[in-house]
Amino acid sequence: MREPRRIATAAAVVLFAAPLTVLVIQAFAEVWRYPALLPQQFGLRGFRVAFAEGDAAAAVSNSLEVALLSTGLAVLIAWPAARSLAATRGRWHGAVLLLLALPLLVPPFATGTGLTEWFIRLGLAGTRAGLVLAHLTVVLPYVLLVLTSAFSPRVVELEEMARSLGTPPLRRLVFVTVPSVRAVLTAAFLLGFLVSWSQYGTSLVVGAGLPMLPLTLLPFIGSDPTVAAALSLMFLVPAILALVLASRATRETL
Amino acid sequence: MAPAVLVTVVLFGGALLGAVKQSVEPSLGGGPSTWNLDSWRTLLASPGFLDALRFSAQLALIASVLAASLAVAVAVALRSHGRLVRSAFSLPVPVPHLLVAVVAFMWLSPGGLAQRALGRLPLRLVHDPLGLGVILVYVYKETPFLVLLLLAVMGSTLREREEAAAVFGASPFRVLIWVVWPVIRRPLLIGTMIVAAFVFGAFEVPLVLGPNYPLTLASYALQAQQKSPLRGQGVAAASLLVAAGMSILIAAAVMRLARTADA
Repeated sequence: MREPRRIATAAAVVLFAAPLTVLVIQAFAEVWRYPALLPQQFGLRGFRVAFAEGDAAAAVSNSLEVALLSTGLAVLIAWPAARSLAATRGRWHGAVLLLLALPLLVPPFATGTGLTEWFIRLGLAGTRAGLVLAHLTVVLPYVLLVLTSAFSPRVVELEEMARSLGTPPLRRLVFVTVPSVRAVLTAAFLLGFLVSWSQYGTSLVVGAGLPMLPLTLLPFIGSDPTVAAALSLMFLVPAILALVLASRATRETL
Repeated sequence: MAPAVLVTVVLFGGALLGAVKQSVEPSLGGGPSTWNLDSWRTLLASPGFLDALRFSAQLALIASVLAASLAVAVAVALRSHGRLVRSAFSLPVPVPHLLVAVVAFMWLSPGGLAQRALGRLPLRLVHDPLGLGVILVYVYKETPFLVLLLLAVMGSTLREREEAAAVFGASPFRVLIWVVWPVIRRPLLIGTMIVAAFVFGAFEVPLVLGPNYPLTLASYALQAQQKSPLRGQGVAAASLLVAAGMSILIAAAVMRLARTADA
């Protein structure tokens, strides 16, 4: 038991923690002259400038709102599709799956640019509603592919058992279906959220200047690394949260 | 089923249609205009575009092949380990690409942490003409993703079959070729294809780490849009359509390969 633990810790440090430490150091570096390995002076200038000039507050709240809404919508839309894809393997199964997975393969910047053509006319360009729709296009296939693995024959059997016992549909959904697919549902939501949260190309064209976290972050990378690092730390939070939730979910099923 | 298909057809189909329209009628609502192929002609005559196409293909090929080979090696090494070790190796999966690019920039750029620690950098990885930094970011991000796909099929059934083959006197190499490879080939091909298609559309990672020339197709499109907001739209849309078409072509080719390999 001790050996695997040591390998896991070493891997986690080398692959994940060690590279990321530079962000933490840089974010709080007030003065960091070459070639010192550590900053000469620590401080909160990075965060101050991020909120004052970088529009960090608006960027975080826009990114959060768009990610939550687009992922929520994607789960609602993908749910019935995942059910029927898991249950039946008709003639069109492969073709439908391919169609639904296509947006995965096409560069999001291309999808966003194409959507802008219509969104400008519809008054959706530069609005959060437009961004939600654009992100939904990219997020939906990820959510759908994960969710398809949720509806195993066992879940369907449980539902039928509940039905034969006279449980009404809504109670069935809340007390039987959702609890039994909870782990996959969480995974699908996390993945969808992260895909939206990380979107760059779609937000750039469709958002038309609306502050979103990755868009706000990029210009600072070359010009002011301290601000870039501060924004990066905020950008990292959902990924860490996802890891914590995922590790808790695996522990539960153990 | 219906809502998902409807949303995909309307939004994604609409997006492709919008890009096609922009590439042949680049007016952006500025009064009536006629359809023409000027944007496509400009695009195909531009050396910057042809270099971008080559550069994107080169990045996609190198990054996906490297990630796939590394993933096979890591998966084989990890399969006998428990969940703890495996999840440690999958830590980079949820980290956004842009964030990995920022971290790579802070370590590897001139004056960055690596240079401070080592005194000098043995290799140029930021804004280098070969896009090595970009490839590094994608290999770091996509290898764990492929490892997860591979470990999912390398379960106990496979182990039993390997043992059976070994009992009948098959050498480890033959076990690998005849027992392991047929099982991992399909997920590996499909996963690698997704990675290749993804790298082909690379945008924000090369914006941070890539060279100023050649650009990737997506950053070429961005430059075209920024250079001339009106005429550039059509050229940008056309180059993005090429990127989209190439990604779909890669996918179709690999799906076909996976199918014929199965038969």
